[in-house]
Amino acid sequence: MSTLQFLMDGFSIAFQWQNILFAFVGVLIGTAVGVLPGIGPMSGVALLIPVTATITSGMPTEAAAASSIILLAGVYYGAMYGGSTTSILLNTPGESSSVVTTLDGYQMARQGRAGAALSIAAIGSFAAGIVSLIGLVLLAEPLSNIALQFGPAEYFSLMLLGLAAVSGLAGKSMTKALMMTVFGLMLGTIGIDAVSGIARFTYDLPILYSGLEFLTIAVGLFALGEVFKTILEREHEDGTIAKIGRILPTKQDLKDSAKPIMRGSLLGFFIGVLPGAGATLASFFSYIAEKKFSKTPEKFGTGAIAGVAGPESANNAASGGAMIPLLTLGIPGSGTTAILMGALIMYNIQPGPLLFDDHPEVAWGLIASMFVGNLMLLILNMPLVKVFAKIIETPKKYLLPIIIAISFFGVYAVQYTTFDLFLLLACGILGYLLVKNDFPVAPLVLALVLGPMIENNLRRALTISNGDFMIFFTKPLSLILLIAAAAWLLIPLLLKFKGRTIVLNEED
Amino acid sequence: MLKKMISVSLASILAVGLAACSSEENSQASTNGSPDYPERGLTIVAPSGAGGGWDLTARSIAKTMNNSGLIEEPIMVENKPGGGGAVYMAEYATKEVDNDYMLMVKSPPILINNSKAEGNSPYGYKDTTPLAQLTRDYGAIVVRADSEFQTLTDVLDAVKADPTAVTFAGGSAPGSMDHLVGILPAFEYGIDPKSVKYVSYDGGGEAVAALLGDNADVIATDASTIGEYMKSGDVRVLAVSAPERLEGELSEIPTFKEEGIDTEFTIWRGIFGPKNMTDSAYKYWSEKLEEMSASEEWQQELEQNGWQSEYKNGEDFEKYLQNQEELIVELLTALDMQK
Repeated sequence: MSTLQFLMDGFSIAFQWQNILFAFVGVLIGTAVGVLPGIGPMSGVALLIPVTATITSGMPTEAAAASSIILLAGVYYGAMYGGSTTSILLNTPGESSSVVTTLDGYQMARQGRAGAALSIAAIGSFAAGIVSLIGLVLLAEPLSNIALQFGPAEYFSLMLLGLAAVSGLAGKSMTKALMMTVFGLMLGTIGIDAVSGIARFTYDLPILYSGLEFLTIAVGLFALGEVFKTILEREHEDGTIAKIGRILPTKQDLKDSAKPIMRGSLLGFFIGVLPGAGATLASFFSYIAEKKFSKTPEKFGTGAIAGVAGPESANNAASGGAMIPLLTLGIPGSGTTAILMGALIMYNIQPGPLLFDDHPEVAWGLIASMFVGNLMLLILNMPLVKVFAKIIETPKKYLLPIIIAISFFGVYAVQYTTFDLFLLLACGILGYLLVKNDFPVAPLVLALVLGPMIENNLRRALTISNGDFMIFFTKPLSLILLIAAAAWLLIPLLLKFKGRTIVLNEED
Repeated sequence: MLKKMISVSLASILAVGLAACSSEENSQASTNGSPDYPERGLTIVAPSGAGGGWDLTARSIAKTMNNSGLIEEPIMVENKPGGGGAVYMAEYATKEVDNDYMLMVKSPPILINNSKAEGNSPYGYKDTTPLAQLTRDYGAIVVRADSEFQTLTDVLDAVKADPTAVTFAGGSAPGSMDHLVGILPAFEYGIDPKSVKYVSYDGGGEAVAALLGDNADVIATDASTIGEYMKSGDVRVLAVSAPERLEGELSEIPTFKEEGIDTEFTIWRGIFGPKNMTDSAYKYWSEKLEEMSASEEWQQELEQNGWQSEYKNGEDFEKYLQNQEELIVELLTALDMQK
């Protein structure tokens, strides 16, 4: 049978009434999971596994597996839709993959363009969902092979490119951005080293063995930092609240977002395919790329719609891409896909090279249902935009305590330790002081994600090559990524050297 | 905001409601549920990424307990990777020491990490309450299907000739189990184990990916997790660390001994409770685990995963662990990696 035939069979499974219902419940819960900072897609999916197991217990194994995975996957990509909401409205990232959305999303909301930001996030997510699904249908086989080619050397070079691109997150001063990057990398070394198993910078405190939680730091720096700023600087006296303009994006907004959405979708999809890279990285890369491509990079950070459209498309596309190594190789690329895999194994369906042959109805039913689910999410989310956007009109004296409560609740729900609450508070104060002094916090957060990956893969690669750094240049994919990183850094410098006037982020 | 709250709470009520329905249904099937413990959902932690042996064991226990109605409270499986299990061990022995609702699946690393010099975990099995040994598994030495290595001795000869030419990989840090399984044959073959090149990944799944992607020449992994890849023709299993041939998919695979390497390594897997586990919780789990190990569902589960059953109750398990610890210290001493 051809791919098309399989896909049609998949749709016939996805359109069974119970599966439509399952997809709907999944995306609905997923949206809620995404909006709530405390429950990430991972815990959301894990919590629902026993529930779906019970609901489907009367059905034949294969049908039960298909229905369950349709619901659980719905939660997963639904969360990617919902994650942007609090980022845009409250500067409080709901998931780590929505951290970068705060940069421009929150600025848009402050200007009364919350509706446009939320709608474009939903539209971008939808477009990205469809793009990544088409990619999944057409490219699953070849891409799973490329994903395997990504060894330690390639990962290292990719992460290095990410780090080189950190300039894209700089504010007024490149020097300050680099300082924050190094600070983030240093924070990333705390904990037990995964390569040797030795504890570093833990001072014999077991609480530090697993390192600092990324989400705690991100929420502290962004959300609490903003709260402190508002309180201390009293810049939002009553009456200065931005009124919501229109809910739907303007034609200009759509025009400005079309290309970022396409680029974000493709970028997110390909990064999602790589096991371990994930949606967070995809969203950061997309933001940086959009700023680079933009004719008006100086607008980024002040409410550029491309800065919302790109990353929000990328994180959703990444969740589609992550299905490829899961389904075709049995290798989960992220915590959430690992749990999805566990759910499949529960039904005695082993994701892996034989899945599409042994259980086509599960694999194709899932893929087809993701088309349906994405459409549902768009329809579900557009009216919600109107509701959510009203949040921004809440007077500050009510809004600020709510943000603080959500931040603390969210962090505690993920980490279950009071240590993280103190860390959150400390990061909030730090975030305020940094922003006040023009130190951009986004490079810190990106470096915290990249740091451990860079280090572990560097050391793995060097072990493989017996300490020979040439491994990074002799592997073609790695070399291409390194050249891209070098170009990213050098071309602007060369152009500047030649006296061309270009917009750069250097100090004026 | 209010509307949001409402929609969110509706969603959570829905979820909780569904969960409640499910536990009600199950409690009718189960006749001997404890009135006090457990009062809420339980968690079994697999201290590794997904796809490896701990992960599959934890999920099998959760599945069997819930599906057979032995335990009506939902059992969640959490993955806590890092440091070859040492990261979570520290957390478990300190933060979760009184948490009756947090259980952990472990295997020889609980002994190894506590006994080795580098990456030492200050906490060992004595900082937990051993509840039961459930399975035993064996290590497997695996290469890509298109590899030049046809037998285990091919690999060992190549390593002997030039240790830098062959890259071993595994899902855990140096000095831990995958590493030991990988270098044990080499050690017995007269190769300096420290010269063997070993790259650690987060969990067996990533190690398999490294092998398939040509980023490792040989991996040491659990015999039970490799069957699927062998069936699909992607990998070749050279040898298993069992005392005699395994049944099922791997019945064609020779043992170390058949390959002339006089050694074996058993990967037992067991479930542990926190050190200060209350008596009622200990009794609850002892009974449930004994019941589960005898159940048909569990036998099926074992068969599907290619595991061999080996049940020991808490007391016997603890004695066995004492013996094992002595053995492992001996082994690590021979490898010059002891504490």
